[in-house]
Amino acid sequence: MHGLFRWSSKWWPGVIPLVVFWAIACWTSTPPLEADLAARSTAALRDTVLDKRRIAVAGRDITFAADAFSEEGRRSAVASVESVPGVRLVNDETRLVPEAKPFVWSAERDVVRVTLGGSSPLPASKGKLLEAARAGLGGVEVVDQMNLSRGAPPRFDSAALLLLDQIGKLKDGKITISDTKVSLSGMARDLGGREAIAAALRNLPEGFSVAANEIKAPPYIFQAYKDPVASSVTLSGYVPDNNVHAALAATAARKFFSEKVVDNLKASVGAPAGFSQAVVPALGALSRLSTGTLVVSDREVKLSGDAFYDAAAVQIRAGLGKDFPQGWQFKADISVKPAAAPVDATVCQQLFADLLAKGKIRFESGRDTINPDSAGLLDRLIETALRCPTVNIEIAGHTDADGEDGFNQALSEKRAQAVIDYLVKAGLPANRFTATGYGSTQPVAGNDTDEGKAQNRRIDFVVR
Amino acid sequence: MAFLVTFHWGWLLASLLLGLAMGWIAVVHRGQGVSKLVTRWLSVLAVALVAAALSRVIPGRPGYWLDLGLVMFALYLAGCAVGSWLRDWALSQHKPAA
Repeated sequence: MHGLFRWSSKWWPGVIPLVVFWAIACWTSTPPLEADLAARSTAALRDTVLDKRRIAVAGRDITFAADAFSEEGRRSAVASVESVPGVRLVNDETRLVPEAKPFVWSAERDVVRVTLGGSSPLPASKGKLLEAARAGLGGVEVVDQMNLSRGAPPRFDSAALLLLDQIGKLKDGKITISDTKVSLSGMARDLGGREAIAAALRNLPEGFSVAANEIKAPPYIFQAYKDPVASSVTLSGYVPDNNVHAALAATAARKFFSEKVVDNLKASVGAPAGFSQAVVPALGALSRLSTGTLVVSDREVKLSGDAFYDAAAVQIRAGLGKDFPQGWQFKADISVKPAAAPVDATVCQQLFADLLAKGKIRFESGRDTINPDSAGLLDRLIETALRCPTVNIEIAGHTDADGEDGFNQALSEKRAQAVIDYLVKAGLPANRFTATGYGSTQPVAGNDTDEGKAQNRRIDFVVR
Repeated sequence: MAFLVTFHWGWLLASLLLGLAMGWIAVVHRGQGVSKLVTRWLSVLAVALVAAALSRVIPGRPGYWLDLGLVMFALYLAGCAVGSWLRDWALSQHKPAA
């Protein structure tokens, strides 16, 4: 042992080459060692969910910075790096992803792009949302401005995915989730888009609720144009469903007795409430015009055109709005058709006969109340009567042979009188008209068929 | 440590062989040795460096270089000890025969 001490005093010369070796070893091994440690640290973190991961190696010391999504995840990530063989020290610069309060996520659509913004809980859900947006929106550019935050409500992903589906139905607008409250605003792409979105919102995951749904739909348009030259009525735009479509078509056929009804209507959801109750009287008003246009846009009804005579214009302006459901507006721009040239008694009779051949004055069954569907026909009869101001006219009521003769006689008289009352209300002098009831004594067709009976129930205008 | 051995085995082996050679020569070397006082100071320095390495107070690359240097030096010393002892043993075998 003593020898070892003695010899050791002479070991020092070898230290000189040793130092040289050491210097060379340090010089050559440091960069590969650092690269090796960086690679193995990165590999150790492969399955860990982190954001903004940064690994810097100096010698055997690792500076590890990252944003973790939970305290547990943060600790386990640091432990994974510490356990990499060869690592001497880990400078832990990790932190938790900031918590967003409230947790807000948004998807905004404008003409050319969809921008996803706000917070997303995990890189995976962020990726999923982006992918869903790109897949669901076809060629639209998707801009990602989402950052990552903690504090997302449970089932955030499924709520956001459902709402991303809805952004495709918007022309422009914004959908926002703030904690568990969903707000929507903007304009639906199609008619019915608003309703489709509202229906989809009912499937929001549990816990989420709609705070504000201000999606607007494009205006729900219904149009009717009465063209006296082509003698046609063109219906276009939308109706709520096929039943309403059929009902409106039937109404138009009754009210426009002499015009051809061209039906270009399409069924679509999104009609304002009370659509039929407003459109039917509006069509009635249009039927009283010589030429006119009816535009129903959402809850606004615009009617413009020419009435046959002054009183009709006044009645239409005053009467139509009353029949409308609550919340509907009516704008009338009614002028009066220039009065036609006077005609003599023969032409007058001919004109009456032509009109009454095309349509008939209808009454409520078994009563003397004039059906509103006949307003258009009556206006044209009145216009004709105004063209022959010197002629006296007999209003002749007829019935079919059903029922008792006495009742029929009385009914025919009352109906003839009701017509005269209508004419007088329109401004014609009462002394030009006489009401005569013929009961069923002057049939124009056989009373053995329904069709024949219908022809026999009539009002005739006879020039005297 | 195990990592250093596997990553730098070449340099460590070189240190060990250098130590063996130096130890082999030292037994018959007639030159001036290091005085006791200097040896003591050098020992204190070595202990201080080992303490610094174990407590990991030197950060980054210098820290790594210190570790590597100490391991190489330790193996050098071990090589010297084994080399000197072997030379001494070889000489003692030789003398009776002579």
